[in-house]
Amino acid sequence: MGSTKRMKSACIDPYVRCSFYGAAQTAFGFEDVCVIAHSPQGCKLSADVAFRWQQADYTVTKSLCSKLCEDEIVHGGEDTLRRTILDAQSYKKSIVFVISACGPEIIGDNIQSVAEEMEEITGFQIVPISAPGFLGSQYKGVDIALEVLIERFSAEKEKEENTVCIVAPHASGNPTWPGDLNWITQVLSALDVDVKAVLTYHSSLKDLENMSACETCLVLSHDAGLKAARLLSNAGSELLCSSTPLPVGIENTRKFLEQLGRRFDAEKKGEEIIEKGEKQVIQNLRRRRLEIEFFNKVSTAVVADCTIGIPLLRFLTEDLEMIPEAVLLRSPDSEGLAEQEIQKLQIYPEFECEIEVYQVKQCLKQTNPTCVIGSNIETHLAQELGIPFSFEVIAPVTEYRMTDRQYFGYRGMLNLIEIIQNQWQNRWKSKQKRYQSKW
Amino acid sequence: MDDFIVFEGTLRELCEKVDRGELIPKLQASHAPPCKFWTAYAVINGIKHCVPLIHGPTGCTYSVSRYYKMYACNYKGCPFEPTSCTALNETAIVFGGESVLYEAVKEAHEKFNPDLIVIMSCCCSGIIGDDVEMIAKRVEREIKTNVLAIRSEGFGGDFRSGHEDAFRAIVSLMEPQKPKKNTINIVGARVGPTNTEWPQEIDELKKIVKALGIKINAIIAGGCTVSEIQKAPSAELNVSWCYDWGQKIGVLMEEQFGVPFSKTGLPYGHLATRDWILSIATPMNLEEKALTLIEEEERKIREDIKRTKNALEGTPVLIEIAEYPGPMRALALARMAKELGAEPVIINLHPYTVKERRPALDLLLQQGENPKVILTRGLFDIGTFESSKKTEKEIEYIADQYKNGLFFANPLRFPSLPVVNLGTFVSGPHFGYRGIKNIAYAVERALKYKNQKRSRLFKEVLYG
Repeated sequence: MGSTKRMKSACIDPYVRCSFYGAAQTAFGFEDVCVIAHSPQGCKLSADVAFRWQQADYTVTKSLCSKLCEDEIVHGGEDTLRRTILDAQSYKKSIVFVISACGPEIIGDNIQSVAEEMEEITGFQIVPISAPGFLGSQYKGVDIALEVLIERFSAEKEKEENTVCIVAPHASGNPTWPGDLNWITQVLSALDVDVKAVLTYHSSLKDLENMSACETCLVLSHDAGLKAARLLSNAGSELLCSSTPLPVGIENTRKFLEQLGRRFDAEKKGEEIIEKGEKQVIQNLRRRRLEIEFFNKVSTAVVADCTIGIPLLRFLTEDLEMIPEAVLLRSPDSEGLAEQEIQKLQIYPEFECEIEVYQVKQCLKQTNPTCVIGSNIETHLAQELGIPFSFEVIAPVTEYRMTDRQYFGYRGMLNLIEIIQNQWQNRWKSKQKRYQSKW
Repeated sequence: MDDFIVFEGTLRELCEKVDRGELIPKLQASHAPPCKFWTAYAVINGIKHCVPLIHGPTGCTYSVSRYYKMYACNYKGCPFEPTSCTALNETAIVFGGESVLYEAVKEAHEKFNPDLIVIMSCCCSGIIGDDVEMIAKRVEREIKTNVLAIRSEGFGGDFRSGHEDAFRAIVSLMEPQKPKKNTINIVGARVGPTNTEWPQEIDELKKIVKALGIKINAIIAGGCTVSEIQKAPSAELNVSWCYDWGQKIGVLMEEQFGVPFSKTGLPYGHLATRDWILSIATPMNLEEKALTLIEEEERKIREDIKRTKNALEGTPVLIEIAEYPGPMRALALARMAKELGAEPVIINLHPYTVKERRPALDLLLQQGENPKVILTRGLFDIGTFESSKKTEKEIEYIADQYKNGLFFANPLRFPSLPVVNLGTFVSGPHFGYRGIKNIAYAVERALKYKNQKRSRLFKEVLYG
């Protein structure tokens, strides 16, 4: 494994948003709530992106902004927040989240005390989350928000057998990540395991009440959520599959399902899912034609978040015979797991975590791969560097997707192969007609 | 009907009411979503080989880069150029971030070899008081590359102030030049390269200017270079497609370099297009050539004008501002409709807009434009969805009062009138002679399919 580790840059072109965004993503995972951005109005645009990431419905989930201006920055924004909370009354929601951004945190607005005071006046629950952007990346924001939720809503409860709380499904680079959550839920259900709480996606107060009763918890991200899961684990929930790559590709999916099967005394059912799933993948590829020549020994760069990027390595290497020669991951949280995978797979890529765009461009220039598996950002870098192929798998992507496409599990493999094969074909499609027809 | 009408009168009366403070909404900040930081970035993004260096955390940086830069790369043929930041963290917030910024500018210069670095402060650096201007001056001397600083902290002003401060910063790059005959700048581009909603708008204007034998030095800041900006004062005239956005650079350059600024509205319809052309040609002594061009072009679209006139004559035309076309386009559409014999009514021209665009509205009033305006309660509701839903009901009701009228806007509303969809790709450009053809086509389709039932699916998606 080569590493192009450099001194930390003073000037970076980031791949990730800030903690405010991550906290907003987490809060918008609750349906039928109101989320107030205690911030100037530009941060609300960032919160709107979080709203869409959670596929929230604007007729149900509401968002407001205290729109802080210079006056509030000088004299304090607590009164403005109080007014905004009163505005939120008209929505008649049972929970209102207040997420504070850089400005109010630096000037010292006490959103906790405003929340307590206004809770008494308004009668709804107000959950304050201090998540200024300067605290770190969006993943840090997801962790902050999850910790707030767990600390506030966890309670001493008897654990219910065969139950699981799913943590941080939204901290994923899959642009339609609910597809992954859906697959996990179906698999668990087939193993007779009840998903009693999801933190967070279309969640409700019920999820918060149920989380403490869950016997186990499962983090669906290698970028965030582990801290929250440890809090649940300290309260008696068993942390599942914590040191295993998530289920992308044949082998990762097999291992993941075997672990779940063992844990819930459902080995046989697990085996059945594996057998059926692998057969489904093989038959599909046989019947619909897998372009093996596209994949074999192709020099590949993976530029992704850890959640998809790490498990992708085994899928690319073992199942698709591609050669990852650069592995560039957006967050630092699972560096150990990535290193472990790289060693086990006996591949020797340039490897970096907590990447930024300039660094990626330099690394791509240096490794000169045949293809990049990444996002729309790498599509442009690849174009500029003359890298023949780039596959948009990780957000942001330009392709419009009206339905959720999972990367996890068996259908996930087919989805990934489909994206790669389609974009491969598109590269060779005629861009102009050589002559005109006569009719 | 009247219980949801907040205002009904002329544009002039609306301006007077706003002046008297009667209609100032109790809005915290602007009704438009972006903050000053976003809009300042949007302008700077229109300069080639420029590195915006955001003195702040990653969130603000990624957001604007994703929104403007990637959009320009994906849809406007721009190369991927960096948007970098100092990634301010807690330590910098406590101890100050000037040294980090200093290093970052030097690093940006080494890494990216830019023609220009623009330091942009955001909330954090603004509150802790980092002196971005001082750092810009200091580093500029050391690296011998232009470095500007814009105080663009999001709380520091509304969306308009971001645009204007960025325009001012751009003018500061200019140097006195020897005048160059037959050259103009187009000024006021504010959303990056190919600078209006449709790239075709600027193509149409370029075509007209070229036909007059005039050279464009630069479209500022719509995909221009630093060198073009520096040479901008050599132009004989500054023009804009919209006085509202062009005036900042236009007026500053007039004051500082004596370059005259031609004041026009948006070139919607043949008469406004004629005005637009003459406002350039007359001060450049090209009037004769311009009149020949106008005659030639008008001949080509005579049928389109006739068709639209036949459709609009004596017809009430409701123009809602909300989603599209926005206030200035709506007023230009109103002028065009009036010239074609229609009776335009503008719906929901926000009082905040009246305040902030006052010079442009005054120009229109001076030119004799004074359309009827209606404001409804929905405009003042909190929550985007709630406001839109309420406004939809109000518009449906208003539309029922204007039988045989037309609704000019976008198909996101469901009035009982035929909807002229100006939002489709095929209906662009709206400017100039091609615009007249396109608008004529949109009007024709609205009337031809006026009995087509609107989609319940669309309506339920939008309004629940």
